[in-house]
Amino acid sequence: MNTHPAGRILRAVLLTLLYLFLLAPIIVVFVESFDDSTYLRFPPEGFTLDAYRQVFANADFRSGIQVSAVTAAVTTLLALVTGVPAALALTRLRFRGRDAVESAFLSPLLVPHIVLGLALLVLFAPIPLTDTYWGLILAHLGVTVPYVVRTVSAALAGADPRAEEAARTLGAGRFTVLRRVTLPAALPGLVSGAIIAFLLSFDETVISLFVSGQSTRPLPVAVLQYVEYRSDPSIAALSVCLVLLSVAAVVVVERSLGLRRSLRS
Amino acid sequence: MAEPTAPAAATPAAGGSPAGHLTLEGLTKTYPGQHGAAVRGIDLSVERGSMLAVLGPSGCGKSTTLRMIAGLVAPTAGRVLVDGRDITGIPVHRRDMGMVFQSYALFPHLDVARNVAFGLEMRKVSRSERARRVAEALDLVRLGHLADRRIAQLSGGQQQRVALARALVVRPTLLLLDEPLSNLDAQLRGEMRDEIRRIQQETGITAVFVTHDQHEALSMADRVAVLAQGRLEQIGTPEDVYERPAGRFVARFVGRANLIEGTVAGADGPRTVVELPGVGRVSALGEPRPAGARAAVLLRPHRIALAPATADGPAAGVPDGSSAAPLRGTVLSAGYSGESLAYRIRVGAAGPVLDVERPAGPEATHAPGTEVLLTWDASAARLVDAAEDDRAGADSAPGAADAVPAAAAPHGVTP
Repeated sequence: MNTHPAGRILRAVLLTLLYLFLLAPIIVVFVESFDDSTYLRFPPEGFTLDAYRQVFANADFRSGIQVSAVTAAVTTLLALVTGVPAALALTRLRFRGRDAVESAFLSPLLVPHIVLGLALLVLFAPIPLTDTYWGLILAHLGVTVPYVVRTVSAALAGADPRAEEAARTLGAGRFTVLRRVTLPAALPGLVSGAIIAFLLSFDETVISLFVSGQSTRPLPVAVLQYVEYRSDPSIAALSVCLVLLSVAAVVVVERSLGLRRSLRS
Repeated sequence: MAEPTAPAAATPAAGGSPAGHLTLEGLTKTYPGQHGAAVRGIDLSVERGSMLAVLGPSGCGKSTTLRMIAGLVAPTAGRVLVDGRDITGIPVHRRDMGMVFQSYALFPHLDVARNVAFGLEMRKVSRSERARRVAEALDLVRLGHLADRRIAQLSGGQQQRVALARALVVRPTLLLLDEPLSNLDAQLRGEMRDEIRRIQQETGITAVFVTHDQHEALSMADRVAVLAQGRLEQIGTPEDVYERPAGRFVARFVGRANLIEGTVAGADGPRTVVELPGVGRVSALGEPRPAGARAAVLLRPHRIALAPATADGPAAGVPDGSSAAPLRGTVLSAGYSGESLAYRIRVGAAGPVLDVERPAGPEATHAPGTEVLLTWDASAARLVDAAEDDRAGADSAPGAADAVPAAAAPHGVTP
């Protein structure tokens, strides 16, 4: 396109600056995670892997990782169990109040998490669901199901409904059509929805702060409480681990199915 | 795959059927909340081994009719019979219909061979038998070499061949094709048209084919059913529908047409003489009508011959035998399109404007503004009903403009 050398150089410089701006916090954290001091500082002065050892030696972090992993896994599963049929109904059926149902499924995205967290606390406290796995999972479902509905709907909207009719004329009953034609067509959306749901749940902080407690403290809440009293490179090391987890998941999805395509709707 | 096998679910009626392989009886579909019916009482039957084209403009109910035959749409009233057996209540997946869709509707996650094998898997055909029949079906559509390609790697024409193979491999009772050529470019369309016809004749399968394209309908089908606004306007051979249209809708939708409105003046043997304002008396073939009735004369643009009008009067042949002298007209425009010349010609001083199509080349071109003589063969003029106000919507078919304002007349459909 722009073949002028000066234009090309300008473009390269601008892109580099943009990416530096976007990645600066992550770079700082990454560098800092190898520092040998006992508090966060920049630039670092030594090099050690102690911070990474500390993360996995810390009991709060370890239980936090466990709580978050269990919560995220169950949340993902339930988000698929509710989100996929919802997406199927929203894209393949015409019924009264379809738009209302669709809005209801997507509305948690529009409400600030702090409002959701407070509302869930008020709702859960008397049941009591606060400080339980089910409370966390239920709360996380609210913010993850919309993504699953969205990604699966997008995949289904891109698939030809005539293919399902063709399968029926070829002798497939409704359930066979669902299993052999509809779900395979929705698979890219299903997988990316699952990964997004898992990452969102694993990362969820604000709502978790309201509904979690001493016995079920997810990792982000544990980190938050840790940094209230201390700030050492182990926080940076933990952050690097989380970033790598997210990047790995996104790369896998992008490579295999195309995340951008399934997010578009 | 010569003889379609009866499916497990179907118990063939004893003694076959006198009416035809497929019969529709009063087939009707009304959608809730929609004004009027999408399909209104269609009766027709298709002979075994023949191909029926269902032709009509978009929204005429042709696709809905096909989908009712397939079982994808439940009729509001009426019946679908195969070999005399009522299948109206049988669900899609047990009807044993092979269907080809406009969008091909292939399974994108399966390769070509597995797409074709799908129906065989549903029928629990053994693996070795499946492989044999898939190969046979792919050979039939000349795609044997592409069996393990992914669908996304195929061209539109190849995808439609896969769709055909997938529908035929199960040896269905009927082959249903819903606008199978509409998504293809012009050259491929011609190729696929011949291909579908060849396959239909080779396999001897009874086929119903939906299209809005009159060329497809006329060139591929044994019989053509013309639909308008959910009604069956005419069913007959391509020649019937084109040469002897049952009504003005058919006349205008199938082929281009000049329709000149007038009043019946009397009979002349088997012919009817019609007084056309601005033209004079013209005799036409068709169902006789009483004198004084409103009627229209159909003249196909390519059936009208032109000759230069010389100063000393008519030089060319006599017209249709009823008008005393050839008609005089003035060329308004002449459009060249390679193979032919499309003229617009005003008859007389203030008569109707007619479309005339002449092959380009052998004849002299008549420049706009020149006077010409119009003649036609006696068989070229057909009598059809006059325009009716409430059917004006259906008349937006390609063809010439009405020359004379519409007048109310009973709408008669000759079966």
